[in-house]
Parts: sequence; structure tokens; C-alpha cells
Amino acid sequence: MYTPVFIDELPDASTVSSRKSELYRLTRARGLTELLLDGTTPWHDRACPGCGQDRSQSGNFSQALIPFHRCSHCNTIYAAKVPAQAPLDALRARLQAERPEAHAEADAGSRQEFEFVSVLNWIRLTEARAATGRPLAQVLDYRFCSENPAWPGAVARLAQNRGWQFLPLAPDSEPLADLARTLRQSPPDAVLLNAELDRSADPRALLQTIRDHAPEGTLVFVATSCADGLEYEILGADSPSFVPLDRLNVFSVKGFEALARGLGYDCLEISTPGRLDAVILQRYFTEIESAAVPFWSGFFREADRDRLRDLQILLQRSLRSGVMRFVLKT
Amino acid sequence: MTLRAAIIGYGKMGQIRHRAMERHGGFEVVAACDTHTGFDAGIPLMTDPMQVYDYDPDVIFCCVPNMMIPDVVCEALKRGKHVFSEKPPGRNSDDVRRMRAAEATRPELVLKFGFNHRFHDAIENARQLIAGGTMGDLYFMRGVYGKAGGANYAQNWRNDPDQSGGGILIDQGIHMLDLFLMFAEGFSEVQSFVQRKFWTDVPVEDNAFALMKSPEGVVASLHSSATQWQHKFILELYTRGGFISVNGILSASGTYGTEVLNVALNRLDQDGNPIPNPESQEIRFTEDRSWDKEIAEFHDAVVHGAPVLCGTSQQALDVMTLVERIYAADTDWTSQRAGHAARAV
Repeated sequence: MYTPVFIDELPDASTVSSRKSELYRLTRARGLTELLLDGTTPWHDRACPGCGQDRSQSGNFSQALIPFHRCSHCNTIYAAKVPAQAPLDALRARLQAERPEAHAEADAGSRQEFEFVSVLNWIRLTEARAATGRPLAQVLDYRFCSENPAWPGAVARLAQNRGWQFLPLAPDSEPLADLARTLRQSPPDAVLLNAELDRSADPRALLQTIRDHAPEGTLVFVATSCADGLEYEILGADSPSFVPLDRLNVFSVKGFEALARGLGYDCLEISTPGRLDAVILQRYFTEIESAAVPFWSGFFREADRDRLRDLQILLQRSLRSGVMRFVLKT
Repeated sequence: MTLRAAIIGYGKMGQIRHRAMERHGGFEVVAACDTHTGFDAGIPLMTDPMQVYDYDPDVIFCCVPNMMIPDVVCEALKRGKHVFSEKPPGRNSDDVRRMRAAEATRPELVLKFGFNHRFHDAIENARQLIAGGTMGDLYFMRGVYGKAGGANYAQNWRNDPDQSGGGILIDQGIHMLDLFLMFAEGFSEVQSFVQRKFWTDVPVEDNAFALMKSPEGVVASLHSSATQWQHKFILELYTRGGFISVNGILSASGTYGTEVLNVALNRLDQDGNPIPNPESQEIRFTEDRSWDKEIAEFHDAVVHGAPVLCGTSQQALDVMTLVERIYAADTDWTSQRAGHAARAV
């Protein structure tokens, strides 16, 4: 199994957190509140979505709107109670529809373009390395096209010799039925789950659907948040990346690997390619002068760009960055 | 099927091969031969290479110094044994031709040379990326392979041209040339500087610089050095679509560092021009599986008739011919060697 490190320039700290993202967080919090107040939405308690450990054995991570736990066995952070998928999808669709056009235009900036290229190159290099004996001629994108409207356009411009099918977020009383149907009717060579597992009320069911309906040998590219990241370790629920509605599941490497292998997937590749842990932490400790964490607060206040880059690479090499990627095979 | 194996030359390399055969499980090492036999190897040891044939081996592992390789290989083939031989394949291309002639008389036998660098994980990855077309056309290659001389440098047989055929280039640089040939297949032009800088009283080179061009226009530069003082392996491949580099190589000594593969695909601007410093993927390899894969290929070839892909006698001839061309391309070096040969006579 490969554990690649993705080495790139660090973004400027000023681009990491901005008024736009604060608005985004508030909007998401409002949506989650409405869901909580809506008496018709069914909610259910659950165990760790990674390793399955009972939540009574896990510690509290946050009580923001809904209780979040951190699994004491695998380190996964998870909402201890989640809404049913159908109303959750309906809420997500409504929030996306409300998103101002200016937001989409801003999303098309160069930083995002770099992230798109990173995902596309990840697929290209894995295709060469996985040696499955067949090219990944058809890729099914599950919902990232809805989460990020600039994505399909980038794919059209940048993805070479590869067919793409986009399955957008479509609220349905029968969640995952669209995915199962598409996998059966137009079997892809690969499925991309970019930033979707964090938002799913039942990640096991999502992965199980792909496992059940995709042809054997299909590669599944998963990109999701990582609970092992230094950002979460130091800041916990204060982490700017922790937006409850978007982070119903923040898997650890160990937790997600347990889930995937338990469903019968082969794990071909694991990485934590996050680029932002170091700059997010520096921004946090320089903005909040009273924040004091032994060693780290001084480290980040004094670190220059070169030091931050070295740390970020070390985090990646140690599988300790705030984003992770898995390549699975059915 | 278990192959009965005998090892001729039970020094460092012979013992490495022995352990690899044990890990594979498809070999039974029945005897070994070396000048030193006063230790317990767990198998019969002898000093006469002909005695190993008394143990009825199926395969011979030839792990002797360069000047002995042709005799050992040809004798084994004559006796109907499959042969795995260390590199370099003798001292010069004539040695290889002699072994190929013996091989041609016994086409049912397998002859394989141990160019194990092709089997390193980082190299195999690089080859997959190039061969699969992911990186686009290959433009140029840079290779640096060097070390700090070694213990008893002046006295070591490796630095006696009559025994080894040359210095650092034929001993270590040959691996890099073999990799160049794997990626570029052949070179039509060769330029070089071959030097003796530190061990000036030793009649072999301690540095070789070569610049080569293939008929397709792929340029390759090599620096093979015994005066680099730090052990270093760097192979860089630059292509139309990006680049690949291999830094470090896992070795028996463990002194060339972790094997690190870096791969980058270009990011293009709106006009289609590459933006500098693209994101690269780094993969670190910490386990040297090259010996095991090499042994497995040999076993498959002997038992199942699978083709030998790495270390064929043709590849051995190609790389040895290239070594000779690099020596010959530096006329100053050629003159020095001729002077040494005359004084030796």
C-alpha cells in the first residue's frame, strides 16, 4: 500500500480564513439549527462510524448544536446523533441554492484550480500505479459537482482522455437509490467521493452501495477530513475546519481503514495531503494572543514560512494532516 | 518446483543471493564455493568450483570477481545448468559476447545477469509512469551515482583493471547506464570525461562524466563518482508532461538512504504553458525487495519458461558496450590507459 506525500507551495495565511468562510459557517449553523427545530426530521444515535465502538466509550468532542464524540479506539470524530439522509440532503440542496453567485465566482480562483488539478493528477498517477490492467476511462463523480459548481468546468478543461459522469445532489425520499441505479446502468471504472463522506449521515451505507453495485476492480477515490490532523489535535472543536453540518464524520486514518476493509475493500493508497494545518494554526495563534498551548503557541507565532512548510511536509509524512485521501478497490 | 542451486563465489553477494533464495522458497542451496571456507554456512563449502557440480545443481549462481565470470558462466552452460550471474558481466563486451555464444549453444537454458536496480520499487514505478504514457514523451535524464571510494581502495580487485575491467564506472555507474538504456533503449552519440582525481596511483577512474543522446533525441547525463564522499543516488527523468526523480536507493549497505520517488505532472496556465513548481507526489520506499523480485523472475524463467525481462545477455552486451564507448570517448583517458597497459607489459 502506498502512502504518498503531496508537496506543494503553502497558500498565504490571509487566504485561509476570511469573511466569506465566516458567512459560510453561520449559514451552515443556521441550517443545522432549523433541522434540529423541525419536529418532523427523524434523528438517531449512533456508534463510531469508523471502527464501530459504542459511543459510551468515547469522549465528548463538542456540544455545538449536536453532540460530537471522539472515538477512544480509533480517534474518529463524529456526530453522536444524525438526521435521516433525506432531510439532510434537502437541507444541503436548499443551502446550495441560496449560495450567492459571487461565491461561485470566487471559488473559481487560482487556489481552487490548483486543488482541482491536484485531484485530477491524483487520479492520473494512481491509474498508472495501480496496474489494474485497464485505464480509468469513465469516472463517476458523486456530488462534488454540487458542492463545488466550478468542478465540472475544470474537469472539461483539464481532464484528458477520460469520460466523466456527474451525479449531483438530488434530494430523494430514497437516498442512495440514484447512486445504485447509475452504478448498475453505467458502470464506471472509478468513483470519486470528494468531500462527501464528511457530510453523509451514513457513510457505511454510501460505501456499501458502491461496493454492492460497482463492478469488481472499480477504484474509489475518497477525499475527506482527517481527525488525526494537527489542527484537530490542537484546536479541537475550535478548529476553523470544524463546521458541524459539513463534518458529521471526521474519520481518522485508522477508523476509515477499518470501515473500508470491513466492507471488503482493498486499500491501495492512504495519504493525508492537507496543505493548511500549519498556516491555519499560525493564523489562530497570532490572532488570539491569549491562546496558550505548551510548545505549539510559541512555535507557530515565531515560525517563518519555511518552517511552516517543513512542518506541513512532516505532518503529511506522518499521516497527521487534516485532510486524507484513500484509494480503494472493490 | 524446487531448484537445486550452487553458488560459486560465496562472499557478500553470494550470501545475499543465498538469503534471497531462502526467502523465495523455490530453491535448495546444495553447495557453495569460495576461497574462504572456514566458517559454517549451513551448506557444504569448497574451494574448487568444479566440485559444486558433484551436488547435481539445476542452477548456478555466479558471484565471482569480474575476470572469472565468463569462465564460470560458460562452464555452467556447457554442463547444462541455468545461470544467474552478478554484474558487471565480465570486464568488457568481448566477455559478454563469449558468454552469449555459449548461451546460443544451449537455448533451452536461462542466463540472467543481476542488474537489480531495475527491480527497485521506485524504479519500477518510474517505468510504469513512462511506459504507460502518463508523463508524455521523455526529454532528458540525469543520473548521479557515487560514493566515497571504499576500504582498501587501492588494493581492492575492483580497482585492478586486469581483474575488473575499469573503475567506478564499470562497478557502480553501470547500474545507472542500465537504467538509462531501459528508458531510452540506446544512444547514438556519446561524449565523456573520465578522470582520476584522488587515487592517482590507482590505474582506474574515480570519476566518469558522460553525455549521451539517443536516436530519438533523448539526452542523458551521468556522473559516476568514487570521490563524492557522501553516498548518493539520483535519477531524474524530465518529460513533456512533468518529471520523475528517484533520490536514494535501498542497498545492502543501507548507506544510500531511503528510496524516495517524486512525481509531478505539470499544471498549465490559461495559455497552456506549464506553471513552475507543480505539486509533486513523494513516495518513500523503505524495504528493498529488488533481490527477491530478481530471484523470482529467474525462478519463473527456469521453472515456467517465462521470459527474462531484466538482465538478459543482450542487455548486458548493450550496457557493456556503452561503458566501453564512454571510456573511448575521452581521448585523454584512452591515452592514459594505453600508457598503463604498455607499462604493465
